Amino acid sequence: MDIKKNVYYIKFLKDPWPYTVGAVILGLLNIGMLAAVGKAWGVTTPFATWAGWIYQAIGGQPEKWFYFQQKGNAAALSGSFINDLHSVSNIGIVIGALLATLLASQFKIKKIKSWKQVIGAVVGGLLMGYGARIAFGCNIGALFSGVASMSLHGWIYWVFIFAGAWIGTKILVKYLI
Amino acid sequence: MAETRLDCLGEVCPVPLIKTQKKLGTMKVGDVLVVEIDHSCAMKNIPEWARKEGHNVEIEEVDDGEWEVYIEKTR
Amino acid sequence: MMEIKTNITKKVRRKRVNQIPFGVGLLIAIVGIGFFIASGSPKSALMWGFGVALGFTLQRSRFCFTASLRDPVLTGSTSLTKAVIIAIATASVGFAALQFAAASKGLPIPGNISPAGIHTAVGATMFGIGMVIAGGCASGTLMRVGEGFLIQMLALVFFIIGSLWGAKDFGWWSIQFMPKKGIFLPDVLGWPLALLFQFGALLAIFVFADWFGNRKSKE
Repeated sequence: MDIKKNVYYIKFLKDPWPYTVGAVILGLLNIGMLAAVGKAWGVTTPFATWAGWIYQAIGGQPEKWFYFQQKGNAAALSGSFINDLHSVSNIGIVIGALLATLLASQFKIKKIKSWKQVIGAVVGGLLMGYGARIAFGCNIGALFSGVASMSLHGWIYWVFIFAGAWIGTKILVKYLI
Repeated sequence: MAETRLDCLGEVCPVPLIKTQKKLGTMKVGDVLVVEIDHSCAMKNIPEWARKEGHNVEIEEVDDGEWEVYIEKTR
Repeated sequence: MMEIKTNITKKVRRKRVNQIPFGVGLLIAIVGIGFFIASGSPKSALMWGFGVALGFTLQRSRFCFTASLRDPVLTGSTSLTKAVIIAIATASVGFAALQFAAASKGLPIPGNISPAGIHTAVGATMFGIGMVIAGGCASGTLMRVGEGFLIQMLALVFFIIGSLWGAKDFGWWSIQFMPKKGIFLPDVLGWPLALLFQFGALLAIFVFADWFGNRKSKE
């Protein structure tokens, strides 16, 4: 039996799923998360915690900052990785994506191709990290979960992330292609 | 009936699609463009765009995580 | 199977390795790690499971929030835009149920409700620009790290550095712009009107996106 030719393998593990299927599943998973652990899905808050830990390791004192004196952030900074819920789910996301590609036999290391890519990744990464902190979240925490939570900040976020994407596209097409 | 290869291996989204659009714009009706990609999003969004434009599209997985998108320009 | 005639010879490929056994091995490891985590912190084990499921789903459906916001402008496509709306709408139903239940019992409202203000606009715009030029948003970056994109690993490093920078400046932004609390729409509009707005707006945007995406592309 050649599993690669099995119709169920092809449908569930090989061919891409329709966007709508993914959408509903993501929505249900977010609900599940909120119901199970009391927190909605978010991705970027752990990044600040990880950065804080690294900064402490090289002698910094981020715990003195206003940000890390807020209750949740302080607890995360002084706690462990395993106990930081969204840190664990973040690693899970990476591994889950890896699992999907391996089971589809589609895994490939993609090396960095050009300087333009590097500039995009560096500047883009910094913008995303900074923007997510001051706006209380990223496309998941603020947009997906924020709007789903019927929070005004989510709706405002949606409008402006769209505007930012428009600006970013202009920059991309002009300088980075 | 020109046939051209477009190497988009290692490109980040949305570069493969943009390069495909530009290249196809320079080709004549009946020409075939073969786009080489290794981006999982591109193997969905390039065929989707090309089909919406009315072209004939075939996609084939040629290696682990590598695809070739065959686009025949129809208009 | 090929309908398109082409004379282009396929490139010579090295012998393909079947990766499925590695995938199965990883799956077993994932389950094992889950049990290990559960022994220390059951909640974290649940988050592990959710994370794996989310990453798996994102990759399998090629889901991309960046594209949902970028493609309408770049290519005129709104298929992902509509998908994101469906995801938000689905989540909204369950979230609203959980929130209403909490409100009825006088408990704190669950979900992500954060202070809104100028900082939201500035931060979201920065994020929007960043995700497009980096080739992926927060979830997209993590997903692509799992897919083997070295460039996204680089983006992740600077994402983390940017987060520290943002955390450092957070105090300033807080003093300048941030109200104490977020605004939960049912608190301001009442539940019926808030739900009407929530689902009405989502539907309206969906219909608009559908119309927009079906227009013939401009040459």
